[in-house]
Order: sequence, then C-alpha cells, then structure tokens
Amino acid sequence: MLNGLINPSDSIERQNEKLKKIVATLMKRVEQDTDSSGVAYAQFQRAVLLEDEVRARTRDLGRALDLLNDSNAKLAVANQETEAARADLANAIEAVQEGFALFNADEKMVMCNSRFGMHMRDIQPDLKPGLTFGDYVRKVSRSRFLSLPRGETAEQWENRRLDRHKDTSVIFNVRLSGRRWIQVSEHRTPSGGTVILQTDVTDIVRLERQERERLIDDQARLIRATLEHLKQGVCIFDSSQQLVGWNHRVSELLSVGVNRIQLGIKFSTIVNFFRTTHTFSGGVTPKSIIEWAEGNGDRLPLSFEMQRGLDSTLAVFMQEMPDRGFVISFTDITAERAAIRAMAEAKETLEQRVLERTLELEDALAEAERANASKSRFVAAASHDLLQPLSAAKLYVASLENDITASEPHALLTKAASALQSVENILGALLDISKLDSGLAHTHISTVDLGAMLNQLCDELTPVAAAKGLDFRSVPTRVSVSSDATYLRRVLQNLLSNAVRYTSSGKVLIGVRHLKNKVRVEVWDTGPGIPEEEQNRIFGEFQRINATASAADGMGLGLAIVERACALLHHPLELTSHVGKGTLFTVELPLARPQPNQHHQAVIRQNTPPGDVSNMVVLLLENDAELRNALAITMESWSVDVLTCTSCDEAIALLKEIDITPDAIVADFHLNNGEDGLTAIRRLRSICGKVPSCIISANRSADLRVACQAAQQPLLYKPIDPSSLRGFLQKTATSDGATWSMIG
Amino acid sequence: MQRSRDLSGALAGVSDYVKTGFVDAHAPDAVRKLADLFDPAELELLILFVSPSVDIAKVAAEAQIAFAPVRVIGSSTAGELSSKGYTEDEIVAIGLPRAFFRTNTLLIPDLDEYDQQALIGELIRGRHEITHQTPEWPSECAMLLVDGLTMHEDELTSHLSLGVGPVPLFGGSAGDGDRFEETFVLDNGQAYRNAAIVVQIRTRCEIEVFNSDHLRPTEHRMVVTGADPAHRIVHEINAEPAAKEYARLLGKDPEQLSAFTFAAHPVVVRIGGQHHVRSIQRVEENGDMVFFSAIDEGVVLTLAESTDMVSHLEGQLSKLTERGRPDTIIAFDCIFRRMEATQLQLEGKLSDILARYNVVGLSTYGEQINSRHVNQTLTGVAIYPPKEG
Repeated sequence: MLNGLINPSDSIERQNEKLKKIVATLMKRVEQDTDSSGVAYAQFQRAVLLEDEVRARTRDLGRALDLLNDSNAKLAVANQETEAARADLANAIEAVQEGFALFNADEKMVMCNSRFGMHMRDIQPDLKPGLTFGDYVRKVSRSRFLSLPRGETAEQWENRRLDRHKDTSVIFNVRLSGRRWIQVSEHRTPSGGTVILQTDVTDIVRLERQERERLIDDQARLIRATLEHLKQGVCIFDSSQQLVGWNHRVSELLSVGVNRIQLGIKFSTIVNFFRTTHTFSGGVTPKSIIEWAEGNGDRLPLSFEMQRGLDSTLAVFMQEMPDRGFVISFTDITAERAAIRAMAEAKETLEQRVLERTLELEDALAEAERANASKSRFVAAASHDLLQPLSAAKLYVASLENDITASEPHALLTKAASALQSVENILGALLDISKLDSGLAHTHISTVDLGAMLNQLCDELTPVAAAKGLDFRSVPTRVSVSSDATYLRRVLQNLLSNAVRYTSSGKVLIGVRHLKNKVRVEVWDTGPGIPEEEQNRIFGEFQRINATASAADGMGLGLAIVERACALLHHPLELTSHVGKGTLFTVELPLARPQPNQHHQAVIRQNTPPGDVSNMVVLLLENDAELRNALAITMESWSVDVLTCTSCDEAIALLKEIDITPDAIVADFHLNNGEDGLTAIRRLRSICGKVPSCIISANRSADLRVACQAAQQPLLYKPIDPSSLRGFLQKTATSDGATWSMIG
Repeated sequence: MQRSRDLSGALAGVSDYVKTGFVDAHAPDAVRKLADLFDPAELELLILFVSPSVDIAKVAAEAQIAFAPVRVIGSSTAGELSSKGYTEDEIVAIGLPRAFFRTNTLLIPDLDEYDQQALIGELIRGRHEITHQTPEWPSECAMLLVDGLTMHEDELTSHLSLGVGPVPLFGGSAGDGDRFEETFVLDNGQAYRNAAIVVQIRTRCEIEVFNSDHLRPTEHRMVVTGADPAHRIVHEINAEPAAKEYARLLGKDPEQLSAFTFAAHPVVVRIGGQHHVRSIQRVEENGDMVFFSAIDEGVVLTLAESTDMVSHLEGQLSKLTERGRPDTIIAFDCIFRRMEATQLQLEGKLSDILARYNVVGLSTYGEQINSRHVNQTLTGVAIYPPKEG
C-alpha cells in the first residue's frame, strides 16, 4: 500500500521530512480543516457518500410537494367553486320575483335580495345583512306602510309576529296600505336558520275574491235551478230556523199562497200554515217538529207523513245541514198511497173469490165422489144381484139342454147358453172395473211363474188362433215376476185375446224381453193397428175400434180393465201401433229376484221329477228339413220346447230376438255352406254361455270322434236312437253339464 | 440498415423514435441541410453537438432559424459520435419528437452566479409541469450540458440533484477538441460560455441511464500534500512537485508526460469501496498538475490502469441490449478514452461497435451522473421503443 510513497533515492532526512508533510496533510484532511477553497472536493465527497440518501430525501420531498401542489390545486378549485356557488346563489335569489331573506341560526340576516321589503320603502334601507330578526320585525311593525288590523297596536302585531316565528313553517298574509297584500312564508332551514319569502299577492287576492264571488253566484244559480227542477218541495232553513231557500213546489204541495212564503220567515210560522189543515203520522206532532227544528244538538234525520183530507199525502223528510241549519223535503205520495190501498182491496177481493171457488170445487168434488161411489156401489150391487138370477138361468138352460134333444130347439138352447155366458162375462168385467175404480180392489203381490202363466194362456188361445189361420207363437220363458197373479193373468189374457181377436191374418207373437231388474212382456200382432188419435180412447169402457166386430167378440171392456189393473199394480203399460202394420202392447214387470241360469235350473229341477225333460228348451240345429221335423216332433212329444234352425247365423238371430238361453243344443255336424256343428256350438256358447250340447252325425269316421272328444262334445250317430237323445237331455237336466262322456 | 446520403452530404440516422442526423460541419449551408432531414413540426427539442472547428455562435444562430419553432440546444465537442462512430468536424443533431418526448429546458447562463434555491424551485416546477402533461408515460431523466472548462460541475450537480428529484441525471462537459481553451453550450440561437443547460425529459419510451469506465485501481497510492482546490491544481504530491512525483511513480521522465499519458494512467480516489476517476488535464510548466475534477489537499490518489477497451465497450453496450435493442444511445464519452483508443489504435474497432449500437453523442471534458461529476467514463442514456400498449 505504501509502495512508491517513499522515493528510495532520497536521504533519510528528506524522506522523514516528506513523510511529516504527508502526515500533516492527511491529519488536516481527516480533521476537515480545509479552507473554503476545498468546497468543491467536499461537495464531490458528500455527493458520493450521500448520493443515495439525498436521492431518497429528494424523492420524498418531491412526493410531498406533489401532494402539496395537489392540495393547493384542490383548494383553489374549491375556493373557486365556493365563490361561483355564492355568486350563483346571489344571482338566483336576485332573479326570483319574491322578496327573499335568509337569517342564520343566531337570528342574524345573512343575505337578502333587493325585493325584500319592497313595499316598505321607509325601512328597506335598514334591511341589510347583520340585522337581527327581532329588529326586522320591530321595524316592520312600525312601518307606516303596514296596515295594522283594526284594534291592534304595533306592539301587539310585533308580539304576534314573533310568536309565529317560533313555528317551523309559517305562511300568512299581511295587509299593507293602499290595499296591497303581501304573503309572507317563513321556513326553518335544516341548520336552524330562517328563510323568508315575501310575495305580492294583491292581484291574486283580488282575483281570488272575484272568482269566489263568481263561483258562489254560479252555485247559487245552479242550486236554484236544481231546486226548481225537483218534484219535491224543498225548504232550507238556517241555524236560527229562518227560511233561506225554497222552491215553488213547496207552496203547491202545502197549498199555501206563494206570497206567504218569504225569505227569513220562521220555521214555526210555516208549521202553523198546516197545523190545522193536515194530520200527521209517524209519531210526530207540530210541537215535536218545532222542537226538532229548534234543537241545536246533532239532530237525527226526521221522517214522517202528513195528510190533508183523504186525497193528499205528503212524505216529509227533515235533515240537519253542516251549518246547523236544516233542509225539509216534501214528497207527494198521494198516488202511491192510493195504489197501495187499491192493491190491498184487490187482494182482499181475490182471496174471497178464491175461497168461494174452493168451496164450490170441494162441493163438486164431493158430489162427484158421491156419484162415483153410488155408481160403483150400484154396479157392484147390480152385478151381484144380476149374477144370481143369471146363474139360475144358466142352470135352467143346462137342464133344458139335457131334456131337449130335438136338434133345432137344442141349437137354440146352445145359443141361449152362449148368450148367457156372454152376459156373465160382461157382468164379471163390469164388476172388476167397478172394483178397480172404487179402490176396493185388493192386490196380493207374490212371485208369479210367468212362463207357466203364458203357456196356459197360449194353450187357451191356440185353438182360436188356429181357427182364424193365425201364426200364433209364444217364446218360452222361465222368468218369475213379482206381481198379483190374478190381475196379471187378466191383463195378459186381455192383451192376447184382443190381439187374436182383432188380427184377421198374419201372426201374433208373445215374448219376454229381459231388462235390468225387470222384464217386458211384449204382445205383437199384425192387426189393423190403432190410429194415433184413437190410442187414448181405446182404454175407455165399451170402446171398440172395429165397430163391425160381433158382440160375441167382447164388449170393449178389456183394455179398460188392462189399464186400471196395470195402474193398480204399477206395471208400466205402453202401446205402439202403426195403422195397417200391427200393434205392440208392452207391460213391464219387476223380476221376482235375480236369476242366474244355474239357480234357475235348480228351481226347475225342484219342480220336476228326475229324468223329466218337459219344458226344456232345446235348440236344434239341422239343415235337413225331414230330419229336423222328425226330431222336433219327437222331442215335443216329451214336452220339450224345440227351437229349430237350419244354420248357426239363424240360431244366433233367433236367440237374440227372443232373448232366451236354451237348456241344450243339438247340432248336426254337417251343416250347409261348409259349416260344422262344433264351430256352431262354439259360437253359440260364446253368446249364451256354456250350454250343454251334443253333435249328431252320420259320419262314423275316427277323425270326427277324435274332434268331438277334444271338444268334449257327445256324439250321437244317425239314424238317431230316440232313447239316446232323451238320455242326453235327461242327463243335461239333472247334471250341471260340467263334464260329458261319450254317449252311444 | 440503409442510409441515404443526400447530395450535400447530410445523413439521416435510422432510428425510429429518436431522430438523428449528421452533417459535415464545414459544408456550405450545413445547418440548413441538416434541418432538411427533420420535420420541425413534430419535434419537441433539437440537440446539436457541434465540432469546435466551426463558428459555434453562427451555427447556433442559423439553427435557431432553420429549426424554428423548435427549441435548439447543444454544445461544442471534443469530437463527435455519429453514425460512423468516432468522428470529427461534424455536426450531430438529435431530435426528440413530441409524440414520444416532453422536455423542460433550463439555461443557467452564468455558473459563477446563480440563485441555487431559485434553480431548485424551477426544476421542481418544470418536472411537475411535464408530468401533468403526460402522466401515463413511464420514463423520465435529466440531461446536463455544461461548459467544460468552468470547474463548477461538482457544485452544479450537487445543486441540481436537489431539484431534479428522484430522476437519473446524466450529462457531459462541453469540449474544445484537444485545445482546452473555450467551450460553449448553445441555447435559443446563442452560444454561452460558463453556462449550463438542464433538460428534464419525459418519454413514452423505455430508457436506461448508464455510466461506466474501463479502469482498475492499482496498489500505488499518493497523497496530495499541496493543492489549489478552487482551480483543481495540485502543486505537491507526497511533498514533492506533483508532476515529478506522478512521473516517478509511473517510472517515466516528467518531461515526457502528455495527454496520452494522462489518458492511459489516470488516478482515482476510493470512497466507500468504489473508485472515482480524477482525470489530469495537463501539466504546467512549473510542474503543477491541473485536474478535470475536484481535488483537495490530503486526498489519497490511487494510480489506475486500463483494461481492454474493446471488450469493455462491447460488454457495456450488450448489457444495455439485454432488455431489448435500444432505438438510440446518446453517449457522453470522455476525451481521454478516445485519446487512449487512438494511442492503442483501437479507434476503428470502437467506432464499429459504437456504430453498430447506434450510439450518437460527443467526446467530453467530463461526465455527470446523478449528483457526481466524474472523468474518463462512458455515460449516457439508452432509449428503447415504447412498450406495447
């Protein structure tokens, strides 16, 4: 480090001297004892040593200066804005038409515009910022331009004004000399100061007054016109019961001279006008009316009527008005009252007439009932009394028939006997009708075997029908109904015999149609039909359409009995008829009970001995006519009902038509058009359930046997052995038909 | 990289953001021809580095007219750095376009007498003003051009540092070739002596201010035992006449000391682990040594030795290229570096490097970095294209 500092060529003394000088210089430097001429190097040295610090400080200073500049700038802007706002405010309040002044929370005026106090020229120069509110009010109260209210001194006005100043918001009008009006509005600002606005409202007040007067005039005219328009009479009284308004209708209604009703007359005077001429209803008297009018509490509306004589009635309605006066309306209700009276009278008359007529009708009814009863009694008595001699006459004739054998007298006797029988029939019918009419007929409702009843009736009528050449058919049935057996038989007999009687050609069919919980017995014929206009009449006594019918055919009492009996039994009876085509009578009968097939058969079995096949219904399906007839005759000889068909379709149609389920089906295997018996049985069973059935065939092939076995169908070979067929039917009747084995 | 030279010999630089132009200082109508390369309407400021071989006052006056209304500043040089690298007898023009630069230029006309506080205040206000014009721009710096013979640089930079704020300052002392007689700064059409110009610059471009030297201290130290600090004169070193002792330490004959010797063998002071070059301007007849920077009695001087200038320059400039290729580098290069390069015949190599990195500027009598005045350094600013967005 000290290399070269010493020049080795120097003497020691010289070296020493130089080192001393170097040391001295360095010591001086260390002690910073440099004269001012060394500033530059010191600055350099400082710059090197302190550069970073100086830069950091400088940066901070710069930042501070920036902030200061920003603040200054903002302050300047703010000052500018404040000045601008102040100027704007001053301009704004100067621009308003009103006088404006602002007092601060210390009640000292802050600012006012040149219009403030404009109507008080004597004090306006004093209205300057710094003025206290109290001084302001005092100066105003002493102003010679202020028009003090009558009887009020300036001090009183001042105190009143200061009182109002305590309110947050005040608006009042001040009258000035020269009929000027100033409206003063005083508002408290949020900071507790006070804003005063003075508006010259002289013109407004004047206009308002004119407007108000005009409005009042208009309203008065309107009210007047309205009052005159009313049909009611109206009087208006003020709170001192003096008349202030009315219409002309009042004098008309009260029959008081127009000139007697004048403005300002007392209510009691008006009451006196009609005190003697009118009577009052509704619990009021003239005295109580006047008391109501003079009352000054909250009066409830008062409503009453008053009459003058009989020909004039007025409804009066009195009501308080808001100003404690009251209004009275009179309504002429004479016409209404008269109408009410007339109606009351009419009602009384009417009631009397109704009563009279009722009594007459009661008499007539009693008379009719008496007549009817006497007629019935007469008929009953006559019939009964007639029957005795008639029986005797019949016995005599019968005995004569035995005694007289000569053909001519005998024929006469036979006719006589027949005539007597007719008389007896007629008398019986009349007796029946009288019984039914008199209500003396008693019914005995029980379970009736309709099938048996129909069979019996058909048996009776079949010969007659056959004699006339009619196709008389009855569809067998086993239904039981709930009815009176006697009357039901009478009804059905009459319907059937009428059908046979009035049908000259064609057919008569009786069948039963099943409905829900009931059956409908239908009697069809191909007779002449009954015109519609006759259809009501035929149910009357002794009515016959075909007048040419002989007396032997009946006296026309049948349908009369039918109708009465059906009505008695509540069996609906209907008639449908087309002239030239025929007639249908139907009677609806309630079922005795629900009748499932199996149960039905059980009932049958109860009534028939085992092995008995009578009354069975067998559907015979056979396309060969000879065989079909032979089989039918064979089975009918066992009292079996046979339904014969040639094809399956025909059978289905028949079953649908007559609506019965056969007890058994006997079907040929080979039918027309390629039909086979097994298919036919399947189809029929799909309609009427699993009815027992068997196949008949001449085909002895194994195939058929196998097919029948597979279908569980018995197979009878032709020629049919009657005993085999009967065995099948017997088995059907006794078993439930669930299982079958081969027969033959 | 194409360059167009017009008929008159004026040449435009190739940079995109900083506009540059070069012209032969002795060419007729040199200033006007230079002006033809620029569009004054787009310029914020024009800087001229003028060879001392021409009448600087005349150039200043002509430029004021030719570039109007742009403010023209500048200085005399000890040689120029143009597109060719080291050059002489040229005028180098650097234009800062308004689109990318805002400047506040302050002339200190008399360095012997100026109001320190007023200067600081003006600098603060000036910076504030350009900051408010372009608050979003990312970069700022300050450039100083100062008379190279006034010996006030240390004092001035010290004062300026208070005013420019936390902004990097770089600067150069005007030169007078190798004559050391009179140096000028130019402003507003006039040439000033004993004056300085401070330019506060704000730019949209990225920048980097740099300062570097190629010297390394040795073990040889000496103590200034007699000096005239005000005039940067050292009379005695180690209690011997200064030049004689300096020569003895170098092992040279005091009679043979020259500018080239000073350039090759500067002395440095060591403060806080760093060294700072104290360049020797000349030796007086009486053996006194005149320095380019502040000096005082009791200062310990350390002899320094050079390292390889070429690799130093290449290294320094490539370091500036790490963050991206600079558009332009404005450099203040110490006259002694150039002298050393000339002596070592490295001028050509260094010129190539300088041209390659688009370095423009001048050779100076001293450089300023922040608040320090230093010697024998390469100091300046690298200007990069603005960041996208």
